[in-house]
Parts: sequence; C-alpha cells; structure tokens
Amino acid sequence: MDISEKIIESTIEIFSTMVMMDISVEERDVADSGKLHDAITGLIGLAGTHKGVLAIHIPHQVAIAITSSFLGMDVDEINEDVEDAVGELANMLGGNIKAVLAENGRDIDLSLPSTISGASYQLQPSKDVDKVLIRFRTGGGSFLVELQLEK
Amino acid sequence: MGKNVLLVDDSSTMRKIIGRSLRQAGIEFDNIFEAGDGLEALAVLEKEKVDIVLSDINMPNMDGISFLREKANRSNIKNIPVLMISTETGDDIIGEAKSLGAVGSIKKPFTPDKVNEILGPLL
Repeated sequence: MDISEKIIESTIEIFSTMVMMDISVEERDVADSGKLHDAITGLIGLAGTHKGVLAIHIPHQVAIAITSSFLGMDVDEINEDVEDAVGELANMLGGNIKAVLAENGRDIDLSLPSTISGASYQLQPSKDVDKVLIRFRTGGGSFLVELQLEK
Repeated sequence: MGKNVLLVDDSSTMRKIIGRSLRQAGIEFDNIFEAGDGLEALAVLEKEKVDIVLSDINMPNMDGISFLREKANRSNIKNIPVLMISTETGDDIIGEAKSLGAVGSIKKPFTPDKVNEILGPLL
C-alpha cells in the first residue's frame, strides 16, 4: 500500500476509534509544514532498515479539543494531559507506519514518543529525506501528519 | 469475589482509554490498578491481588518484553495472565511475548468490541 494512503487510513482509524472524532483529508501533498505557531508536535523516531521521524503538528486549540474528546473530559489549556495525548497519537501512528515499512517486527525500532510545544518553531530534516505531509480537517481546525524518511 | 486488573502503559491517556473501553465493553472489575512501566507493574503484582494484566510493550525503564521475562522468574506472580495492548504487530515481537507467557494481544487502536472479543474469554 502507498505510504500516503496508509497514513490517511491509520489517522482516520485512530481518530474514529480512539479519539471519537470524525476527521477528513483537507490537503494531500502539502509542500512544507513551515513555521508552526502556537502549536504542539508529537514526534516518534524510526531506526533500523528505515530511518526517519513521524510527526503530528497540531495547533494548541485543536490539540485541546482533541484531548478533550480523547479523554472524555474538559481540557482548557496545554497541560500534561495534552502532551501525553499528542505523544500517544504519534505513537499509534508510528506503530501503524512501522507495520507497513518493516519486513518483520525487529528490523525497525520506534523511539518513545516526545512532544514539542511553543509559540513559534519549525521542524527541519537534518538529511536528504523523502517527505509525506498531509493536512487533516477536524470540526475545530486542521492539523498535519508528517513522515520524513532518510533516502 | 470480584476481579482486579492491572493496566501497564507509560501513557496516562492510554490507561484512561483502556479503562473506558473496559466499561464500554461491559467488563467490570472491582479494582483497576495502574503502572507506568514494567518495574512499577512488578511492584503492584507483588503487593496487590491481580487477576489479569493488560500491558503495553514499548515503555521506558522496563518494557513489556522484559516485564514478562522478569515476571516469569517470580514463582508467586508468574501465573497471572498478561494480555499485550500495543502498536507492535510484528509476529516475532508478539511471538516472543507469547513465548514468555503472554496470553494474547490487542493492537492499538482498538474498539471496545475488540477488547471484549479478546479479553472476555480470558476472564
């Protein structure tokens, strides 16, 4: 399966079954995530036969809405719950992508998820990479899922 | 006497989601214990009466595979069943978990129906 299709399928499945939120693809083949403002990014690294990073970039207000739906409780600020929820989204997406890329479970290792949050920041690859970047729409705004794989 | 479950996952969000899925699946436990990694899980098992463990694989400090290996070496807790709940789906990792005593696995993301289908027969 094409990796873009797998990212779309996995993201929609995760949101419908775990976050309890309907989402749709707003834009495929987004050129660049650019500078992110008032956002939080969940990151998971891939190492082994495929090396790279999977990231989910979410504006703060959208991340708060996602976490509220995920946890089934009101969340009104960026806190540990939001950071944990966004990290777990990256973790689940990373696991799904690993299943597509790996010949077996041992040839790609996933890092533990981490998050970055701030008023203005940018994710830049350190090497020449193949990039997939897809924008998804929720009822309260959009977010990006990005996969960078070393060529 | 009711049953007790131990949820092992480094994500507090995921522990809450698993707890919610158990309720939505109609599976009731008297006590739901939580641990953030394998080391904490072993400490809970040594202290509390636990009937079944639902455990992630990728965790800091002690991952799910090391947890199974250490648990298998402790005669007082080695027979407590462990069901893996993880993003890991590779046959060799799940196979290793099963060889160390795991009774099955559930892939994240999951639905309450899937939890009921796999966990229900184990209770």
